[in-house]
Amino acid sequence: MNDKNQEIVRGAFREYYFKHSSQVEMPQDIAHREFGYMHLAAGMTRHLSFKSRGEVMAGLVREVPSDVYCSNAIYRFPTLPMNEKQWQGADLIFDIDGKDLDLPCVPSHTYRVCASCKHVSPPSEKEYACLSCASKKAEHVSIPCSRCIDGSKKEAKRLIDFLIEDLGINKSSIRLYFSGNNGFHFHIDDESYRPLDSPARSDLVGYLSGIGLMAESIGVRKSPGSDLAFVKFPKGGLDYGWRKKIADRLKIDATSAIKLSNRIKEKGFSAFKSEVDSMAREAGVRIDPQVTTDVHRVFRMPGTLNSKSGLTKKRCDIDQIDSFDPFQEACLLGDSKIKVHLKTPVKFSLKGESFRISKESAELPAFAAVYLICKGLADAS
Amino acid sequence: MSIRVGPGDLAKYPFLNEAGEYLRQSGFGWDELEKPEMKEIIDTAASRIAAGTAGQVNDSLERYEKEILVFLVSLILVKSISIEPVLKKYSLSEARRAEKFLTEDLKKQTDPQKRALFAKIFEDLFSLKIDVAENGRLFKVKVTDYLRRSSHFHEQEWRMINRLVSRGFVFLDADEVVRLVRNELAILIHDRVAKMNIPQMPAAIRQKADELRAELAPKVQYRAQAVTEYPPCIKHALEVMGRAENLPHSARVMLATYLLAVGKPVDEVVEVFKNAPDFNEKITRYQVEHLAGTKGSRVKYSVPSCDKLRTENLCFATGDCAGIINPMQFGRKRA
Ligand code: SF4
Ligand SMILES: [Zn+2]
Ligand SMILES: [Zn+2]
Repeated sequence: MNDKNQEIVRGAFREYYFKHSSQVEMPQDIAHREFGYMHLAAGMTRHLSFKSRGEVMAGLVREVPSDVYCSNAIYRFPTLPMNEKQWQGADLIFDIDGKDLDLPCVPSHTYRVCASCKHVSPPSEKEYACLSCASKKAEHVSIPCSRCIDGSKKEAKRLIDFLIEDLGINKSSIRLYFSGNNGFHFHIDDESYRPLDSPARSDLVGYLSGIGLMAESIGVRKSPGSDLAFVKFPKGGLDYGWRKKIADRLKIDATSAIKLSNRIKEKGFSAFKSEVDSMAREAGVRIDPQVTTDVHRVFRMPGTLNSKSGLTKKRCDIDQIDSFDPFQEACLLGDSKIKVHLKTPVKFSLKGESFRISKESAELPAFAAVYLICKGLADAS
Repeated sequence: MSIRVGPGDLAKYPFLNEAGEYLRQSGFGWDELEKPEMKEIIDTAASRIAAGTAGQVNDSLERYEKEILVFLVSLILVKSISIEPVLKKYSLSEARRAEKFLTEDLKKQTDPQKRALFAKIFEDLFSLKIDVAENGRLFKVKVTDYLRRSSHFHEQEWRMINRLVSRGFVFLDADEVVRLVRNELAILIHDRVAKMNIPQMPAAIRQKADELRAELAPKVQYRAQAVTEYPPCIKHALEVMGRAENLPHSARVMLATYLLAVGKPVDEVVEVFKNAPDFNEKITRYQVEHLAGTKGSRVKYSVPSCDKLRTENLCFATGDCAGIINPMQFGRKRA
């Protein structure tokens, strides 16, 4: 980010941390968390520690980091190097990112920044070639649309269902946030998950993502030496968890052993096996496995700003997820007028206002100007 | 409801605190081990240790007074033999033995008193709460208690997705509940021996321990007697792995069979391949287990001969290789 852009963003972010400090949520055991700042200029500082809310807020207003992170882990000595911190446990967290969902709308709002000359090309169905230098390499910048958000919401709701129905986590222990750009973050307040190590979390991720389901676990076993199978439903029945999800999709219940046998006879066991596997992946939630599995990570702090957009990582009531509009509710920067130079024609909506700009320069409210600067689609002029 | 541990239970589970309590109440003292009638106990204990070290599991069950003493004497003997692999193998065999009884007992549990006893055993020893499921046929454990343990098992069926899960619980049958704590049981017995503090060893025990040590040491230490230096072919393969470069299949087979043959556990061998550019933990583990003979054909593969390795261009012989026909002989002849 150039100096001028930095100055504009810093001003808007500082104002936010000053005016909206109540948005920033402190973790439990604050003194035992590791904090990290990403700097507007570049680079990252980790291994920071704060004793109180006051200290955190003073740091934010003074430093105005571009992004603020806090460990989900609890350490005895949060400021020491990683292998001396003495890990004491970590909260369970999940990340759903709209860009991992392969949504069909994405090309229609993806801008491309040329890797060699930095020229920005607007969304286009055609195969990319820089309009200025014809290079084919580019960085993709997306302005998520409401369909993107709906896609993430659908995953989030599915995850909530798994957490409550299967894992028995209390609804009140689930904190859901808009990530500040294009997805949702979950923080789970359930101490029994804190001690779990990485392999245990990875098993949990497999469960939630629908990876590794065996046909045997719904009672279908291969007959030795052939591609046939025999069916004997498990002792515990097919009424809960993954067994139920798959039974529902196969339209079977505990009385359908014969029906299922016949069905497998038609296609063979291997085909059935892969059918079950893809059903499970389909029914699973698309979460980022790294985020949940890594127990030494720093994770975006609730209520802080995301420098990919200038939007807030904003709490979302899980009962109101359908009506939650992040482009309205997470857009909390001010609206003083800022002049920008646009690198491409753009269209987007924020705070209930639709912007469709094809001129090269424009005067925009701060929240919109910062949004475009953060996306790399405009420069402060 | 007070939970009573009966004498029959103590015979099967002599590691329960109640067994120590029983000994204390019966006025048992160390000097009693010197009495001639203890010889039978000491001999039984010694033969169980020898069998355990050989990987056998003893499931005979004697009178509880005898079982409790045999267990105690075994611990003392293993302590004074003080060879780590013997302790490890013995702990594992005791765990397997208890595992067998636990499974049987859990399976026939309908009496609520007995059920409560087992719940107590699991909670006391492993801090694992188990409950009988509503349908009365399965047991349930908390998801987090399950994950903490199952994630260290490699079989696909233990991945939680292949389990019946509902409302925070994983439902398991008796075998599975016991399997879940098997490793902890071995660790428990191991730790009990490791922490044991015997003021003065009775002569009868000391003598038996000396005999056993002489008998068992060569069996377990043949492998433990670390190969201080790897042969050049192995060294070369390890270096290639260390640089995270690709190693041909034949070289991987050589490396894995060699490391297994010098007594490295499967986990450590898998670890060696971690740097490989195409490393896939599941596949590698399967292959290593296959070579070790624990999976698939159940044939343990031996280390290829030097001749074979020469034809595969895997030999990097030095003067120290003179006169050997298999990498396993490297470094052994010179001693
Ligand atoms: S002689 Fe045998 S041990 Fe020595 S380098 Fe060749 S293959 Fe390896
Ligand atoms: Zn270009
Ligand atoms: Zn979209």
